[in-house]
Formats: sequence, structure tokens, C-alpha cells
Amino acid sequence: MKQITSSKIIGLLAVGAMLTFSGCETATETRTVDAKGPQAINTAAINSQDWANAADQLINSLLSGGALNNAPRTPAILAVDRVINNTQMMVDTDLLIKKIRVALTNTGKIAITNTMGLGERAVVASEAAELDEMQSGKKAKILVPDYTLYAKLIQQTDKNGKIAQNTYSFQMSLVAVKSGLTVWEEEKQIAKQTRGPGTVGW
Amino acid sequence: MKTKLLSVRFAGGLVAVGAVLAFAGCASNVNTYERAESQATPNYIADKRVITDNTLAGLIRVVSINQSTVSGNLLKIQATVENLRNSTRNVNYKFEWIDQDGMALDSANETWKTLVMQGRESTTISTVAVSPRAVDFKLKFRE
Repeated sequence: MKQITSSKIIGLLAVGAMLTFSGCETATETRTVDAKGPQAINTAAINSQDWANAADQLINSLLSGGALNNAPRTPAILAVDRVINNTQMMVDTDLLIKKIRVALTNTGKIAITNTMGLGERAVVASEAAELDEMQSGKKAKILVPDYTLYAKLIQQTDKNGKIAQNTYSFQMSLVAVKSGLTVWEEEKQIAKQTRGPGTVGW
Repeated sequence: MKTKLLSVRFAGGLVAVGAVLAFAGCASNVNTYERAESQATPNYIADKRVITDNTLAGLIRVVSINQSTVSGNLLKIQATVENLRNSTRNVNYKFEWIDQDGMALDSANETWKTLVMQGRESTTISTVAVSPRAVDFKLKFRE
């Protein structure tokens, strides 16, 4: 009697296991997630959430620091200087800079010039300016920037056994053109640890 | 019979040792020291709380929220958050801004951010509205 019950349980478990594992074989699925939310795929590299976080922290620091309180005019003219990528990744630095540009423009305190630096002067805009000069006979007056913005991305990799840590530093400086002085500087870091296979716990 | 009793005792001992080791390894609480009489005069605001996840509310607590104005006319919000547990905990939070007309202000930078808190640690999270039109805010938490 006891033997029959055991074999029944084993049989049920086997059927359950078969159903479970056969159910795992599904077709490729795609779902839409919040690119900057916790569902974004986390990797050892800088993911979409990291770019947004870095930009947010830098903007918060710049606006909280009061560097723009003494701007010579409102909106102050800003030229985006070089963005140096010293990481091992091939990334488009606009993933950071565009977010900074959008936020600063939204504040109404900064207008970004497209006539120098890493401005987004398009060919059409350039042609339109030339056409305007031709038709009006007046040389267009280009506003001299009040500030320049300089940024640098650095990656440091550390390893301890099977755990690797990538620390990404996002450095940014705002320089007043007339004085050449840095009126605001900030460095924000994002550290990501990756465990190799076979490691237990952190 | 004697062998069975020994096995049970051995297993029980192993479980006890494991439990002791496990709990000893988790202790990462934070001790904090500060000025007895604070010199700061924060502008605390009254807040309304909508709790839909009681488990999360039992893990972390928003102690207070204060606000200030930066860069002339931009609202800055800071929340003091406390980890109610004895272990390190990750939670996600997000700020949202609302204008005078009650309309949500979209901001590319206001995203879900991960906050890592040590056991019993109190820390602050803050944000600055990038639009001078922002007058109200919402602070959201999720696990």
C-alpha cells in the first residue's frame, strides 16, 4: 500500500517537472520598458539609467551651487567645449551632454550657442545665416559666450578575485570666458560590480 | 536508534551555527553623531502620504521633507530617508514636478534612481526642478 502511494507521488512529480520545463520553451519576446527605470538592463557598462542619473546629479550640483547667480546676462550664453571620453567604451557623449543641454535650456538661465565649440550648428542654419547676411547687407552679430562647459569621462577597473568593479567618473567644469576662471566644477561617480561565475554572495 | 538521534543533533547543531554565522555577517548598521543643537533652519513642509506597499513602508521611512530655492527661482526638494532594518537595502526613488496648473512637468533627468542604504542609516535624497514653473512635487518609492 505504502509502495503504491510513493510511486504515485513520484509519477506526479515527474509529470509536473515535464510540464514545468516544457513551458519554459517560449518564442522570443520583446517588451517596452522605461529606458531610465530600474527595469533597464544592468551591465558593467554605462546603461541608460546611469547616463540619466549622472546628468541629473551634475545638473543638480550646478543649479544648487549658485554659479549662474552672477551671470552677466539672462540667459547667459554657453558654448559646449570638448567632451573627452577616456573610457574603454565607444560611446556617443551626447548621451550625457544632450541631457545637460536640455535641462540648462529649460531653466531659462542658459542659451547654448551653436556657432562654436560642440554646438549643434546644422548646415541649413549656417546657410540661412549667410543668406540673411547677403539679403540684409549686414554682418550677423554673433554673441560671445559668457561660459564654456568642459566634460570628461573616466573609467577605472579594479578586480578582486572573481569580482570586477568598474567606476565611471563624470567630470564637468564651467568656465567664465572673461576671467578664465572655473566657476563650478563637479565629479560624480557610478561604481558597478560584476561577479564572475561560481562566486557565492557579495 | 542511537545513530538516528546523533544525526538529528548534528543537523540541529549545523543549522544553529549557520544561523549565527548568517546573522553575524549581515550586521552593517551605521552609527551617527551630530551637533546636539543644530544650527540649520530647514524649511520643512507638511507632506501627504499614499501607501500602497506596506512591506516597503516597513523597510524605509521618509522622516522629513524640506525645500529651498536655488539659482534664483528653481525649487529644490530634499527628503531625509531612514532604513528601518538592520541590513543594507536598495530602494528605487523618483521625483516628479508639477506646475501651477497642476500639469506634470516632464524632465529627462527625473528618473528612477537606486538608493543604497546601510542598516539603520539615515540619508538624504534631493533634486532641483529644472523649470521655474515647478511649484509642487511627488516623491515615489519602489523596491
